[in-house]
Amino acid sequence: MTYFWGILFISLHAMVPITLTAVGEVVGETGGLFNIGLEGILLLSAFTGALGAESAGPTVGLLVGMGTGALVGLLFSVINTYWKGTQMITGIGINLFAMGFVAFGLIVLGAPGFHAVPAESRLAAIHTPVGTLSPIIFVALVIPFLVHWFLNRTRAGLILKAVGENPEAADVAGINVNLTRLLATTFGGVLAGLAGAYISVSWIGSVTKGISAGRGFIALATVVFSGLNPLLALLGGFIFGFFESLATWIQNLAGSKAIPWQFVAMIPYVVTLLVVAGVIGRVRFPKALGEPYKRE
Amino acid sequence: MNEPNRKLITRTLTGLNPALESVLAGILGLIVGAILMYIWGYNPWKAYWALFRGAYGDSYGIASSIARGVPLVLTALTFSIGVRAGMFNIGAEGQVYMGALAAVTVGYFTLPPGLHLIVGLIFAMLAGAAWSLIPAILKITRGVSEVISTIMFNWIGHFLAFYLVANVLVDPLRGQRTIAVPPSARFPILIRGTDLSYSVFAAVAFALVIYFLLWHTATGYEVRAAGLNPTAAKYGGIKSKRTMLLSFILGGFGAGLAGATIVMGNPPTYAVISGLPQIANAGFDGMAVAMVGRNHPIGILIAAVFFGGLTAGGRTMQITAGVPLEMVRVVEGVIVLTMSIPELVRIFRIIRRGIQKILRREAT
Amino acid sequence: MNEKSTSPEKSPEYFLRAEGITKVYSDGTVALKKVDLEIHPQEILGLLGENGAGKTTLTKILSGLLPPTEGRVVSPRGPVRFSSPREALEFGIGMVHQQFALVGPFTAAENVALSHERPFALLNLEETKKKLEKLMEESGLRVPLDIPVEKLAVGEQQRVEILKVLSRNVDLLILDEPTAVLTPLEVDELFSFLHRLREEGKSIILITHKLKEVSSITDRIVVLRHGELVGDLPTSQATPAQLARLMVGEKIEEEESAVELSVESLPRRREEKKATPKREGEGILHVEGLTVQGDTKEIAVNDLSFDVYSGEIFGIAGVEGNGQTELVEAITGLRPVISGRATISGVEITGKDPREIYRLGVAHIPEDRWRLGLVLPFTLAENAILGVLRWKEFSGPLSFLRWGKINQHVRKLIERFDIQATGPSAPAKSLSGGNQQKLIVGRELAKDPKIIVASQPTRGLDIGAAKYIRDLLVEMRNNGRAILLVSADLDEVLALADRMAIMYEGRFMTVAAPDELDRETIGMLMGGMAKEGV
Repeated sequence: MTYFWGILFISLHAMVPITLTAVGEVVGETGGLFNIGLEGILLLSAFTGALGAESAGPTVGLLVGMGTGALVGLLFSVINTYWKGTQMITGIGINLFAMGFVAFGLIVLGAPGFHAVPAESRLAAIHTPVGTLSPIIFVALVIPFLVHWFLNRTRAGLILKAVGENPEAADVAGINVNLTRLLATTFGGVLAGLAGAYISVSWIGSVTKGISAGRGFIALATVVFSGLNPLLALLGGFIFGFFESLATWIQNLAGSKAIPWQFVAMIPYVVTLLVVAGVIGRVRFPKALGEPYKRE
Repeated sequence: MNEPNRKLITRTLTGLNPALESVLAGILGLIVGAILMYIWGYNPWKAYWALFRGAYGDSYGIASSIARGVPLVLTALTFSIGVRAGMFNIGAEGQVYMGALAAVTVGYFTLPPGLHLIVGLIFAMLAGAAWSLIPAILKITRGVSEVISTIMFNWIGHFLAFYLVANVLVDPLRGQRTIAVPPSARFPILIRGTDLSYSVFAAVAFALVIYFLLWHTATGYEVRAAGLNPTAAKYGGIKSKRTMLLSFILGGFGAGLAGATIVMGNPPTYAVISGLPQIANAGFDGMAVAMVGRNHPIGILIAAVFFGGLTAGGRTMQITAGVPLEMVRVVEGVIVLTMSIPELVRIFRIIRRGIQKILRREAT
Repeated sequence: MNEKSTSPEKSPEYFLRAEGITKVYSDGTVALKKVDLEIHPQEILGLLGENGAGKTTLTKILSGLLPPTEGRVVSPRGPVRFSSPREALEFGIGMVHQQFALVGPFTAAENVALSHERPFALLNLEETKKKLEKLMEESGLRVPLDIPVEKLAVGEQQRVEILKVLSRNVDLLILDEPTAVLTPLEVDELFSFLHRLREEGKSIILITHKLKEVSSITDRIVVLRHGELVGDLPTSQATPAQLARLMVGEKIEEEESAVELSVESLPRRREEKKATPKREGEGILHVEGLTVQGDTKEIAVNDLSFDVYSGEIFGIAGVEGNGQTELVEAITGLRPVISGRATISGVEITGKDPREIYRLGVAHIPEDRWRLGLVLPFTLAENAILGVLRWKEFSGPLSFLRWGKINQHVRKLIERFDIQATGPSAPAKSLSGGNQQKLIVGRELAKDPKIIVASQPTRGLDIGAAKYIRDLLVEMRNNGRAILLVSADLDEVLALADRMAIMYEGRFMTVAAPDELDRETIGMLMGGMAKEGV
């Protein structure tokens, strides 16, 4: 029985960065921009969030992480709206930069490759009789609902969907396509930034050059799985988190030859492939996703 | 300035336009790197000087730079062949893993030297191509975005490789790594005392083959045409499904070959180490090389030496100037970011027009 | 020839007045010349004219979205100059284009809600739906409100566009070729709706080229030709014959201010036809009962049958959008065929792909040369071998390209067709439009085809290049080839064709020699009126 609570709590913790990042990207992709640089944002904000926490406390750390995400998201959107860049390449550039910057930064801070965030700089956990929870988990549970409400119940949400689906029609209706996309993707960056800072300040409590561990890409996969529905992104995040915790659990269980942990770890990616291939449900994406918008 | 000279200068500037864009991006990357170094308290001049010396300062450095560049040429070509065909094939990362592991399997049987190596290369290329097959089929039959499918396959390949290294191909005597590639299947060292092996010829050969294929055969023409204008290509009787499939397979060959060159050309281990440190990131770095090389085999060869130099020189930079070599990846990232902005071209055109105006004024 | 008259019943007040509107685009084309026009409330105005007459430009200027080069648009309501369609809507002018600006997965209600302002408000679809229900009742336009728009029939989609505009309380509604995509039943519904609107005091401008329609629904008709307003008369006083004459003009001798127009038209001078007697050669292209579907599932080509013989130019004239594009695409293998067949010299080509069709001797000069004809980043030489690169002389074993031979061939082309370029390795996008077209023509002719399908071959070309291409087509005809010429430029077809057809709504209205048809008849046929009916 202790296994149940253990796995549940780890899954909830693991769910957070994926759900937050995915929900942010849902907003961004609804507007039409495809940000492959989420991994880079996670990495960068984990690092900057840790620094922020150490200098001024955990809350500041989280805010610094969100700010980092906002900056990168802003840079990405400006390049790909007003400057008509190529989204794929910008994203790859962000990832490369982040890899180098964080690795470099870690060495400069003194410990090559690894940096633990001291306990007093970490976010206070909530203690329950069966385990600890991070407060951010609740944030991650609530935000998808808020975003869902925003997308479906406000005019701004409608405008965002129009921009992603048919920017020409939105333009004709007097909507500022570039500005809308910019705001959406920057918001996505903020959530990804929170996710990254959460990893270093609240959950794992350290920064390594691989701390993001591909979660940015898992988030992209979750976005596909969700079909741009924030609630499904929450579910997807939990499922991926569950398999991640399962994989860790199996790996730590010496003598478990039932299923090698590597195959368990593969499951999220295989599932995404199946979803994307149309086997599981039919997913419909905004028609203008990934295309730069040029007014004729 | 007289007429023929003016024409020559204008022609040169026009022709070099794409190359100069890359140079501009490179300079910008170095500048940002310098700024970061300065902020963290390092001396950028000392660092770059060490970098340059380490990369190109002596024959050992040059050999090292080229050696580091060999796999980059191949993974860059994987990406570029995709771009030429109108797609984003970012699956090189996973295909490299598969290629490297396939190459290692030659350790399980013996063959005369030379032949042993070639068989290993063939295994590697086939493995790389096989790993790109499912994304290719998904794209061609169901229009599935190759970006997502290749990313997924990168990660599936990552974990599969972990599994194979730890459980299937493991060296029973050593653990933590696969069996080694036997001497009969290794690339001989080209320059003694360096780590530059004959694998460089494999890379150059592949690049040349791709060049000839794309620009000097009807098949390659069809690939490029379909990538640039699928509608006109269809009107010209070109089947874009065929060209896409071909591009995926060729790309897989390249990435598989890259994995093989790392494993079969890399003293002292000649094996895949657990955690995949030697072969990780070859795919992503290759993309940066491809972009700077303007997705052309010749440009890629040059860019690979540059990026290889960054890595090789990075070590010297770390030892001599104390700057962690990870700074190199920062520079790479900025370069790629810069290259994603087409406005760069416009800025450049403005500069060029300005120069033309000056030249014209002088003529009158 | 201007016929102006004002009906005494109309009130003197106007909604909009255009005074002396002239519009010259930045590339020199004169789109409108000194147009004076008044729009009155409570009237349906028909705006008639051929392709390129200036109708769209005029309406853009009237709705304040495009500034005139000379002249002005005034209204008792205030200045008529807006920076976006939304502002025009707020003023009271709404336009429904041929291309709908709808967001596919949105429902009708959501599409309408999109065009209202205040982004930070809560979405209240119930309210929007209620308003729409009321509007639908008043206007008689019914549309399902909860189905994604992309699943609706085209006629229903158009109604959503109209409702979108109506929901903003416009006083002037402009419709651009609205009946092009409607079934006859939908046309009737639309027209009764327009009548209702007029009763409420609104103004409507209907842009069309269909004579029957314009006669049946409008109160007043305005005819544009080559940017000039040549007719402004009450519908009751206009006969289709008269309108046709106004639309396409009198015989070419007339000296009109040689208004150089946008892409489709010629300056008014007589083309010398190479005087070669008509030869009845062998039948090359045979089309039988061809029916082709357009992009929006409507029938674009309707049970068409005709033949083209060697040694003749068979011209297809008509306003664009009547199935010409789809016909050419079907013949050249770019579009599937629903029923019927086509053969080249007896060999079936229905449903075959382009390369096979070319091998049978068909050359195609496409109407959209950037999308279909050229790969712009490629060099001249690379473009010159598009479609033919697998020929023995150009590629060898292992599909190696013989660049030597190819460049030789290209240099010959450059010389033969007088293509201005720096050489075979010049990028195609550096060539002017005329030279690009010459390249395409040269490439196609090098295939030594039996028949050349030329679709809008001189569109966008300067006079010199256009003449060159036309002369070339005539020369090909004299050499015994068959030529299918599809052109929205009536003068071009009249000058070049040995036999011609006028295409309207997927059918040929007639097939005859150009001499046998007078302008008036042609105009009527282009407008959809059969010769006998008036």
